[in-house]
Amino acid sequence: MSRLVSLLRSPRLVLAVIAFLAVWTGVGAWAPWMQPEGPPPPPWAVAVGLAHPFTSWPFLVVVALLFASTLACTWGRRARTLAIRRGELPPSATRLPPRAADLRAFLASEGFRGEGEVLTRFGPALWGGWVLHVGLLVLIAAVLVQHALSDSGTFDLSEGERASLAAHGTVFGREKGPLAPDALPDLDVALVRFDPFRKQHGYSSDRLSELEVSGRGVAARTETIDRAAGIRAGDVEIFQAIPSGMALTLDVPGMGMRTVRLQPEGPRRAAAEVTSPSGEPMRLVVDSESDLGGPAGPGKLLVWMESRGTRRALMPGSPFPFGVGEARVLGMGRWGRFTYTRTPGLWGVFAGFAMILAGCTLLAFPAGVARLGRPGETAAAVVFTIRGGSALAAEWERAGPPA
Amino acid sequence: MQSILFWSAVTLYALATVAWFAWAAFGRKWGAGAGTALLALGLLPHAGSLAMRWIEVGHGPYNTRYEVISADTFILVAVWLVASMVARGLRGLGVFVAPSAFLLMGWAVSTFELKREVPIIFKSWWLVMHIGFAKLFFASILLAACCAAAWLIKERKPSALASLPSREKLDLYAHQFMIVSFLFLGVMIAAGALWAHQSWGRYWGWDPIETSALVTWIVFGIVLHFRVLHRWSGRRMAWLTFVALGFAVVTIFVVAILVPTIHNSYMVGS
Ligand code: HEM
Repeated sequence: MSRLVSLLRSPRLVLAVIAFLAVWTGVGAWAPWMQPEGPPPPPWAVAVGLAHPFTSWPFLVVVALLFASTLACTWGRRARTLAIRRGELPPSATRLPPRAADLRAFLASEGFRGEGEVLTRFGPALWGGWVLHVGLLVLIAAVLVQHALSDSGTFDLSEGERASLAAHGTVFGREKGPLAPDALPDLDVALVRFDPFRKQHGYSSDRLSELEVSGRGVAARTETIDRAAGIRAGDVEIFQAIPSGMALTLDVPGMGMRTVRLQPEGPRRAAAEVTSPSGEPMRLVVDSESDLGGPAGPGKLLVWMESRGTRRALMPGSPFPFGVGEARVLGMGRWGRFTYTRTPGLWGVFAGFAMILAGCTLLAFPAGVARLGRPGETAAAVVFTIRGGSALAAEWERAGPPA
Repeated sequence: MQSILFWSAVTLYALATVAWFAWAAFGRKWGAGAGTALLALGLLPHAGSLAMRWIEVGHGPYNTRYEVISADTFILVAVWLVASMVARGLRGLGVFVAPSAFLLMGWAVSTFELKREVPIIFKSWWLVMHIGFAKLFFASILLAACCAAAWLIKERKPSALASLPSREKLDLYAHQFMIVSFLFLGVMIAAGALWAHQSWGRYWGWDPIETSALVTWIVFGIVLHFRVLHRWSGRRMAWLTFVALGFAVVTIFVVAILVPTIHNSYMVGS
C-alpha cells in the first residue's frame, strides 16, 4: 500500500500524468476530424481513442490517475503545513550559517515577523499549495458528477408557435448524463416575437426573441432572450441558438394550424419537404427578392408548392389542394432555434475553480517560516520558504562576513 | 486627436527604448531614469488614445487587432511600473519592456483604421474579467521571460545590466511572475467558462482557443512543478520560461489569427 502511495506521489509520475493530459488535450482538440465538417477519424485514431478524445478510456484513466496522485500528494499535507508553521521545518529548508550581522534585522528586512524563536512571512499563504490541490480534486470530482447529471436538448419555434418541451417531437439532439432524469422538462414555451436582425445599441445585429414560458412550478411569464444570456424557468435554462430561417403557417384540413420550417437552399431560396395528410410527398419553396439572411429583409416573397413534377404558386389566404382536402397559407414568418439545459451540480465545478484560484492567489505570496538556531546547532537560523531559498541565502551571505 | 495621442505614446516609447539602450550598451546611468520616466509618461497619451477609441466605438479594447495589441501594451508597461515600485530591482527590466512596447505598438498601428461593432455575446461582465485577466496574464509571463533573459545575459557576462538584481533574485522574480501569470490565466479561463455558461448554457466546449488556454495552463503547471518538485532553477528554468511564453503567445495571438473560432473577432486585422 505504502509503495503504491509513494509511486503516486513520485514527481516523475506526477509530471508524466500532467504532460500526457497536455499532449492528449492539445492533439484531441486540434485533430482535423474534431473540427466542424472535418474528415472522419483515421483507423489509428479510433483504435487509440482519439476519435472521441474526451470520453475515451485513455483520457478517463489518466484523469483518474491524476485524481489519485493529487489525492496521495495532498493527503497528510495539512499536518505537514501545520508542523512547518510551528517551526518544525523539513530537511530541504535553507540553513543560514552564523555571520557577523544582525540576523533578526535581516529576517525582518526579508519580511519575516515574530517575537519568539519562530518567525513567519505571509503565514496563511503557506496553505496555497494545499488549497490549490484540494481545489483540483474538487474540480475533477465535480465535473464528473455534473456531467452525469446534466441534460440538454434543442428545439425550434416559429413566431406565434407554442410547444410543450415534454411533447413527442419537440426536442431533438438531446444529450444527457447517465444520472439525469429521463423525463423532459415539464415546460411550455411560445415564441411571441422573433427578430433575427435586432440591433442593440453598441452591438452588431443579432437574434432577439420574446419567449413565453410556463410549466409546473413556473408562473407564466414573457421574457426577452438574446445570444448574450439565457433565461431561467425553474431548474431549466433556455438559450438562444444561432440557426434560424423562414417558416410558413398553414391551415390544414383536419389538423388545424401547422408550422412548416424551411431550410435555406441558397441565399434567396428556402424549402421544406412535407407529406400531405394522404401521404403524398411535396415540397414547399419560398423565393425572395433579396437575400433571405440579409438584415434589410427579404423583399417580395413568392411561395411555391412542388409535387409530382408540377409547380404551383400559392397565394396567402387562397386554398390549394393538399392531400385529401384543401389547405391555405395563413402567413409567413421566421423560426429560431433554442437550447435548454439542466445543470445541477454546476456549483461544485465553480467551487473547484474558486478553490484553485484561491490557492493560486495564496501561492503568489512568498510565504515562509524561519526558526532561529538552537543551542548546539551550527546554523544561525533554518528558513523554509515556498520559493526563493537560494536568493535568501545569497542575500545573507552579502549581509556580513562569517562569524 | 486620437492618432496624435497614439503617436505621442509611440514616440515616447521609442525614446525610452533609446534611453534604455544607452544604459545597457554604454553604461549611461541617466538612461535608466530617463527610460523609466519616458515609459511612464507614454502611458498618459496611450490611456487617452485608448479611452477615445472606447468612446468612439462604444466598447472596450477587445475587438480589432489594434485595440487588443494597444491595450496589451498599455497593461504591460503599467504592470512593469507597478512591479518595479513593489520591488525596485525590477526597474531595470525596462530595457526589455521599452522595445517590446515600441514593437507591439508598431504591430497595433497596422490596423489603426479598422473599427468594428462587437457581437452581442460580448454583452457580459464575465467578458470584461476574461479579457482583463488575459491581458494581465500576457504581461506577467512576458515579464517572467524578461527576468529569464536577464538571468541568461548575466550568466554570460556577470557585469552586464549592472543595476538589475543578482541572478538568484532574477530567478526568484521569474518564478514569482510565473506564479502570478498562472493565477491570471486561471482567472481568465474560469471567467471564460462562466461567460460561456451565461451565453450558451455550457461552460466548456473544447473550442481551439479554450483548449489552447487549458494546455498552456497545464504547461505552466508542469514548469512550476519542475521548480518545486525537481528544484530546477537557473539556466534550465530560464529556457522553460521561454517555452511557457511560447505557449502563451500561441494561445493569445497565433490561434486567434490562424484558426477559425468564436474567438476570431478579437484579433481581426482586415
Ligand atoms: C498529479 C497530481 C499532482 C501532484 C501529486 C502535485 C504535487 C505538488 C507538490 C508536492 C507541490 C509542491 C508543494 C507546494 O508548493 O505546496 C506542488 C506545487 C504546485 N502544483 Fe501540483 N501536483 C499535482 C497536480 C497539479 C496540477 C494538475 C496543477 C495545475 C496544472 C498543479 C499546480 C501546482 C502549482 C502551481 C504548484 C506551486 C508551484 C510553486 O509554488 O511555484 N499541480 N504540486
